[in-house]
Amino acid sequence: MTMAIAVAVLASVGTWLIVRGGAVRLILGFILLGHAVNLVIIAAGGTFRRVAPLVDGGVDLETTADPLPQAFVLTAIVITFGVTVYLLSLLARTAKSSARDQSSRDGGGDPS
Amino acid sequence: MLVASLALVGLTTFFVPLLVRYLGRFTGYPLAVIFLIAAGLLLVESPEVMSGETVVQSWEWVAAFDVQFTLRLNGLALLFAMLVLGVGALVLSYAPQYLDPSYEVGRLYTVLNLFAAAMLGIVLSGDLILLLVFWEITSLSSFLLVAGSGAGGGRQAIRALVITGMGGLAFFGAVIILAVKTQTTNIAEVFAVAPERLSSADYWIVGALVIVAAFTKSAQLPFHFWLPGAMVAVTPVSAYLHAATLVKAGIYLLLLFSPLFLDMPAWNFTLLTVGLATAVFGAYQALRQRDLKALLAYSTVSQLGTMVALVGVGTSSALAAAALLVIAHALFKATLFMLVGIVDREAGSRDLDELSGLWRAMPITATLTGLAAMSMAGVPPLVGFVAKEEAFYSFLDTPQAMWTQGQAWTGIAAAAIAVLGAALTFAYSARIFGGIFFGPLTQRKLYEPSWLFLAPAFVPAIAGLVFGIAPWLLNGIIDRTTVDVGFTMVQSDLSLWHGFSTALILSMIAISLGLLIHFRRRWIVRWLGEEPPTPLGPIIFDRLWDATVRFGTRVGRTAHNTSVGVHLFGVGAMLLGLAIIGFAIIPGAGGGLPAMIPGAAQPVDIAILILLIPTVIFLARTRSAIAALVLAGFVGLIIAVWLLLLGAPDVALTLLLVEFLTVVVAAPVLSRLPVHRDIGRSTTAAISAIVVGVISGLAVWAFTGRRQASDLSEYFLTEAEELTGGTNVVNTILVDFRGLDTLGEITVLFAAALGLLAATAVGVRARKDAVSEVLGVGERAVLRVGAKIVIPLLAIAAVVLFWRGHDEPGGGFIAGLVAGAAVAVASISGIRLRIPSAGVLLAAGLVIALASAFLGPLVGGTIMEPIKISVPLLDYVTSSLIFDLGVFLIVVGLVRAALERLDGLDDSGDSDETGGTDPQVVMGANPADQSKQVAP
Repeated sequence: MTMAIAVAVLASVGTWLIVRGGAVRLILGFILLGHAVNLVIIAAGGTFRRVAPLVDGGVDLETTADPLPQAFVLTAIVITFGVTVYLLSLLARTAKSSARDQSSRDGGGDPS
Repeated sequence: MLVASLALVGLTTFFVPLLVRYLGRFTGYPLAVIFLIAAGLLLVESPEVMSGETVVQSWEWVAAFDVQFTLRLNGLALLFAMLVLGVGALVLSYAPQYLDPSYEVGRLYTVLNLFAAAMLGIVLSGDLILLLVFWEITSLSSFLLVAGSGAGGGRQAIRALVITGMGGLAFFGAVIILAVKTQTTNIAEVFAVAPERLSSADYWIVGALVIVAAFTKSAQLPFHFWLPGAMVAVTPVSAYLHAATLVKAGIYLLLLFSPLFLDMPAWNFTLLTVGLATAVFGAYQALRQRDLKALLAYSTVSQLGTMVALVGVGTSSALAAAALLVIAHALFKATLFMLVGIVDREAGSRDLDELSGLWRAMPITATLTGLAAMSMAGVPPLVGFVAKEEAFYSFLDTPQAMWTQGQAWTGIAAAAIAVLGAALTFAYSARIFGGIFFGPLTQRKLYEPSWLFLAPAFVPAIAGLVFGIAPWLLNGIIDRTTVDVGFTMVQSDLSLWHGFSTALILSMIAISLGLLIHFRRRWIVRWLGEEPPTPLGPIIFDRLWDATVRFGTRVGRTAHNTSVGVHLFGVGAMLLGLAIIGFAIIPGAGGGLPAMIPGAAQPVDIAILILLIPTVIFLARTRSAIAALVLAGFVGLIIAVWLLLLGAPDVALTLLLVEFLTVVVAAPVLSRLPVHRDIGRSTTAAISAIVVGVISGLAVWAFTGRRQASDLSEYFLTEAEELTGGTNVVNTILVDFRGLDTLGEITVLFAAALGLLAATAVGVRARKDAVSEVLGVGERAVLRVGAKIVIPLLAIAAVVLFWRGHDEPGGGFIAGLVAGAAVAVASISGIRLRIPSAGVLLAAGLVIALASAFLGPLVGGTIMEPIKISVPLLDYVTSSLIFDLGVFLIVVGLVRAALERLDGLDDSGDSDETGGTDPQVVMGANPADQSKQVAP
């Protein structure tokens, strides 16, 4: 239930940010959606077993968390980082070229 | 020797550009020599072939589908191979003289050579799949050669490619049906078992597909129009591809498959009627052309029609006549194209209305043209006459074929149409010769071209005469070919003089009629319409083509939208649909969900939610980019804590590091931007947000926490240590169990980093020290001192985390992020680290990861199989550790690229404005402040 609420909040705010528009919001919304999806994957493994999957000799299957979703989420986080960084590079590039357009159009006047 | 011959021609393709660099247009000569050597290599086998053997060479190729790389040489293959290599050698020794010194020859020679290899491959293939591959290469090389001819070439090339490509697809279909039904792709085996394995419906479908493939390639009605269009290519290409060889591939295919369909009336009927119709239509069109190349193109269409019709007759003599006509046509048509090219070069035109009286200036050219034209017209004593006699004889014999149950009139009708075609052929042949060489000589300063230019045309012209006078020279190969296309041993009796036979009488009628048509040509053409009607084929083709392109544009336009909402709408609608369908059809999904397992939600989770929800809501409402970034980092932090509580320390650690790095990387970019211009409508946003939130929340509530541990989870937990030697199960999944997935994922990271480097490549300047602008000297010194302590600690932590990753939380991803953090700290405090550049790190990472993946196969295992490598002092190292090193390097490379390129991007030097003075930034942003807040 707590997982469901967390996912609902993250997903709806992420969607809000993306649909509302603007490059910065797009990136932030993307990050939040990433969190939501990662939580979904973790939830899929079941959250009633919460012992870290570090086996040393023996393992208690009743309490040890499912390692597979963790592996998925781990790589997903790093990939989200990669994509975020890429989006930022595009943002920086477009911002720069539009800023240049702006300044040439303004003729150097002080907009404030 | 088969493979040696094919390999010689095929591998030469790679060296053609090199030859062209030194020899320019004269590259044609060495290539001609290579073709002759390749022909010699095949002729070594010819005694065996002529004695009735089939030479076969075979290698394992695609084992999974049981496809062998099989080459075979029988009479049919030998005949066509000699044409391909012989005419190829002639045309390639003609090209150097024909081509302008300024012509871009590299591409021409390369593709011509590739084409020759593929054509040789077609005729030597003993396997259907192999044949198909070569078949497609010939279509593609024809496309390249036509497209490369400049003005107007593009459209014609597309027509040719689409038409022949359609045929290729049809052939592919036939091959698949045969392979599935007969369980083999070996041509000999397919033919052996086909009668018992193929149903009558299969015969119909395969027959129809093969006919489409052959008709498109060999320019039969109604697909003929691409061939005259392809004449925009340079003359050597027209002579070689579009007269002598490429278009014969269709005839070869029909001959090859005729054993399968010989007793199928529909096959015979289709080939005979379409072939004869094409023969007459092509000849009539040729009669109306003024451009010599267009004339010869229609003439080729017509001759191919005759060959198709002969295959359709299906008697042994008809197939022998078809084979003979293939030889005769290659000889006279290649000659004529080369001579027309010579006339074009010398007299500057190939328009029949502009040329006149060249006989006086160029007697040798005229003689050779006369020989070839006479052969084409079917005048004794040339080989074309012998072929035509055989053809008439076979057409008359048509009733003997099974398909008509012996009605005599069909033979007479077929022969009558063939005579009409021959008469028209005689007429346009006479017109070519008369048009160029008779009449008054109007041009001055015309001379015979050099013997080097003439020699390649001289050889086939004389060969046409020799084979005409002594046709028995060809008895052996024709007999052998007839056997290969499904007949028991026959004894051909080719000769120039058969006595007063019916065929001779038909020949005489054809020639007389041809003379009549020639002298009354204007009258006939006027009667049938002066201007040729606009050809329908290209119009229909272009309409269909344009409609397809328009349709594609329309479909594509839906994706060409910069609004995020438009793209998300499709995804969202699909998810919603899935949810509805799920609730509607999955039994019990509406209410009978399994019970929640107790313990899925625990009190500590409530505390997390109390922290998380307000943070997220603030994030949605803030209008400052920097505030939003901090809040996003805080969200990440909360989730990382939660993951730790949920028993995922590796994931928590990863997330923590990523959050830190995201802030460091994003701060300099975002701080310079106005955050929140409201673009989307708030009601749309609110509705989408609520719908997405409710559905995702419901789905998580409904589908998770209701079942016990999966079998997979149990498997990994119990087997990981024994199978991989690692005790951190998450890490063993990443580098051992699902290593291939991880390889894919780091490739995505690699691609993202490349995209970043590419997107920021322009305008990157030497980085100004961002920190120096906002920090005083004292603060800066403190930061530097701190960094000098932190960086080595982080480096050590990275090494430790990396090393222990297989057993305890850590591993390549986490260690990479920690090392990235060290790089970030250095970047913030303005310290220059002496580590390899981002590009080197990324490349090294991918290479190492790939190399470790292939260690397994090297020692006889499978890809990504963990291999233990003995190392002094350490006992052993597994290949998964090496793989993890690759992961580590790629992550560090990505972080480094981001830090290097995203910071300082705005220091473009052409503007004095920095982030701090940008009035649109709401909060006084400076990256260093932010970094200090988040840095540990």
